[in-house]
Amino acid sequence: MKEIHVDSKIENIPEVMDFVRAELEALGCSEQVKAQFKMAVDELFGNICLYAYGEGTGPVTVSVGLEGDPPAAVVAFCDSGSPYNPLEADLPDIGLDIEDRPVGGLGIFLIREMMDSMSYEYKDGCNVLKLTRLNG
Amino acid sequence: MDLELTSNREGKELTVSLNGEVNTLTAPKLKDLIDGQLPDTDVLVLDFAGCDFVSSAGLRVLVNDYKILKKKGGQMKLINIGKNFAEVLNITGLDTVFGIN
Repeated sequence: MKEIHVDSKIENIPEVMDFVRAELEALGCSEQVKAQFKMAVDELFGNICLYAYGEGTGPVTVSVGLEGDPPAAVVAFCDSGSPYNPLEADLPDIGLDIEDRPVGGLGIFLIREMMDSMSYEYKDGCNVLKLTRLNG
Repeated sequence: MDLELTSNREGKELTVSLNGEVNTLTAPKLKDLIDGQLPDTDVLVLDFAGCDFVSSAGLRVLVNDYKILKKKGGQMKLINIGKNFAEVLNITGLDTVFGIN
């Protein structure tokens, strides 16, 4: 796994996107997979910047690699902010009329739909959110 | 990547052309431009010919504006949608909500 260490500031989103894109490129991922992980970085790294450390900022590690057989692209986000499991967030009911839908909540739903799997664990004081997507 | 916005008004119809990406960093720019113009707008046309990346931060702006317009009997049209944005609209079910050409 290749890693990048950055502060939880939204100005760092482009740097994280560029890193993830370059690593996925090196792993031979398709344009679609790269586009989907780009959405994921914007949403998930963005959320860490906005919420993980309250009003302040803190360290974030983003790692990219291959796992499993057949090999799947994996991108993991790790922060040492407040424990928070985004997979427990309420999912929007996309069957509802738009008038009745909350404006938020779409981001995490989108990422879950695009990925093959997402897992969360709180380990050694860190929130670790791992996204897995088969190439194709 | 930054977002450039060009707007053109004809009476109550406002067309905004997007060039770049709508993401966490740039979505506020889109929101500010549209929010300022909505009171004088009945038809909002968003041209995505130069923009095929819209993250959830951008979707929130679109959904919010759509609701405001619909409430006052107006409408929103999205034109020149690219492949990636189309996938996002499809997954979220928003393709059946917004007017898409």
